Amino acid sequence: MGEHKLIMGKDIYFWNFIVLMLFTLFEVGAVFFEEWPGTDIPISLTTVWAILIVVGIVKGFGIGAFFMHLWDDPRIYLRVALFPTIFVLLMLWGIGLSNPEGVTGLPGWCTPNWDSLVTER
Amino acid sequence: MGGGGGSDVKNAVWMRALIMAGMILGFAVVSYVGLGVVVADMKHHTWEDEEYHYKEAKSEWQEAVDAGEIQSDDKNADLYKAKEEAHHHEIDAHLSYLTYRVAGLAILFVGIIFTAFLVISGIMNSSRPDEHHDDHHGHDDHEHHGSASPIVFSFGCLLFLLGFPDFADGLHGLMMGSAKGTIADLSVSMIGLTVVTVGIANWWREDLPFNGYGEQLATSDPFAGQHIRKAGIWVFLMSEVMVFATFFSSYLRMRTEWCTKWALDDGKCTLAEGESVVMTASDYLRPGGAAGTGDFWTMLPGAVNTFALIISSYTIVLALKVAKSHDYKVPKGILGNLMPTKKAAIRNYLIITLALGTMFIVLKLVEWSHLIAEGFTVGTEQGSIFYVATGAHGVHVFAGLLVMLYMIFKADTVEWDEENAQGVEYFGLYWHFVDLAWVVIFPAFYLY
Repeated sequence: MGEHKLIMGKDIYFWNFIVLMLFTLFEVGAVFFEEWPGTDIPISLTTVWAILIVVGIVKGFGIGAFFMHLWDDPRIYLRVALFPTIFVLLMLWGIGLSNPEGVTGLPGWCTPNWDSLVTER
Repeated sequence: MGGGGGSDVKNAVWMRALIMAGMILGFAVVSYVGLGVVVADMKHHTWEDEEYHYKEAKSEWQEAVDAGEIQSDDKNADLYKAKEEAHHHEIDAHLSYLTYRVAGLAILFVGIIFTAFLVISGIMNSSRPDEHHDDHHGHDDHEHHGSASPIVFSFGCLLFLLGFPDFADGLHGLMMGSAKGTIADLSVSMIGLTVVTVGIANWWREDLPFNGYGEQLATSDPFAGQHIRKAGIWVFLMSEVMVFATFFSSYLRMRTEWCTKWALDDGKCTLAEGESVVMTASDYLRPGGAAGTGDFWTMLPGAVNTFALIISSYTIVLALKVAKSHDYKVPKGILGNLMPTKKAAIRNYLIITLALGTMFIVLKLVEWSHLIAEGFTVGTEQGSIFYVATGAHGVHVFAGLLVMLYMIFKADTVEWDEENAQGVEYFGLYWHFVDLAWVVIFPAFYLY
């Protein structure tokens, strides 16, 4: 349990909570601002995506590792928690392949000449 | 829940559930009257006034156009600007009315359901003879205490969902006063809800005396030596991950094909003549969104909800920490007055969690009402996936609140301590999962 590890007199739950709050502020702020604060430079779609993904990973780690105790619990729980990741990756793969031009847009090394394998009738 | 026995809980204790129910219902009714009736009525008058002003401004503009004094497409004309300003005021007044009306109704609705669960469980369990309970829950640490309650509960859910299409149609018809809605349409789902409530009431009864003795351990790999309930909740949570992954992947799949304003601006798509950009929820909520309706206030409910869930995750961790502590130290200052004993601290942390979760539901419904009023309905692809995904999440939050009611009841009667705190821990895992799901849903649906 994380309450036994103290950092500056506070347990790990407290610091995890602070980090989660700060990152949420950062996440919401990234969308509130259409331009980088103090400049005229617009924040691009890719930048917003990158911020949201990084913040999501940090928050997910904080909640899973410390609030859900995966950091201290036996490894079997971590393995259980990671198990659906396989299916989530498969889903993302499926999404990628089922996109318009998902297959034809793949790099050459991904698309061997399957035509040679077609049965001639 | 446990199903093990241990502490001696008299059935009369269940009558305290009725007191809790009365307090909740009282709060819900007062909130409804205050927000949903008094303030909402004032806001409704304002809305009517603004609507009148808008109609006047529109009529003046129309007369000027008809008289040829201004062109209908002249957006710099004073009358046009006045008409548009009046329209904005009218929309703002309408949304303000909706905020209070929906908030009041949502609090009343949630309060009635909380009350129903507590009253039914309280009356059912307190009316059973004490000796019945003593016979079935011994003190044998090694005795297996199976429970039929989850099966009863699941059967109730099955019936509810089987009858749900008719239930929804029937309820809508009855509420709108149309001849289509009949009581028969509601029957299958209502029987399902009754079975669910009975299953939960019995489940609560079985768990209340559980004091930590008789927790079952897994005897085979891969969970050998681990608490079976903990392994079970983790496997359950992972099945839930798949449910949310399905919503999320559906959304991503559709989103990659939608020509949104962001995609258009980034050159990722083009629009044919007459086509317009696809508008997602974030276009209505986010400042700078394509709908032009987003500002600080439209983002606020979603942002507040995000913080509320994180804070509630922390408060439930604090409840667990106090429950597991051997030497509870009363905090200094105001917190010390609120948490004078270990029992009060656990109960109050859980009450704060319940309040934050309830606020989440209320704000979500307020936000939905605004989105629907702005024209973002379930009738479109982007509306459908938004309401289904965020609604499924909301249902999970609400189910968690019903369990939390029981957790608070147990905290106030039998008490949570270092021996039986695993109940708080396992429920906490579920609650953190709900928070985790929001970590993905919020940026994907509200910000992007």
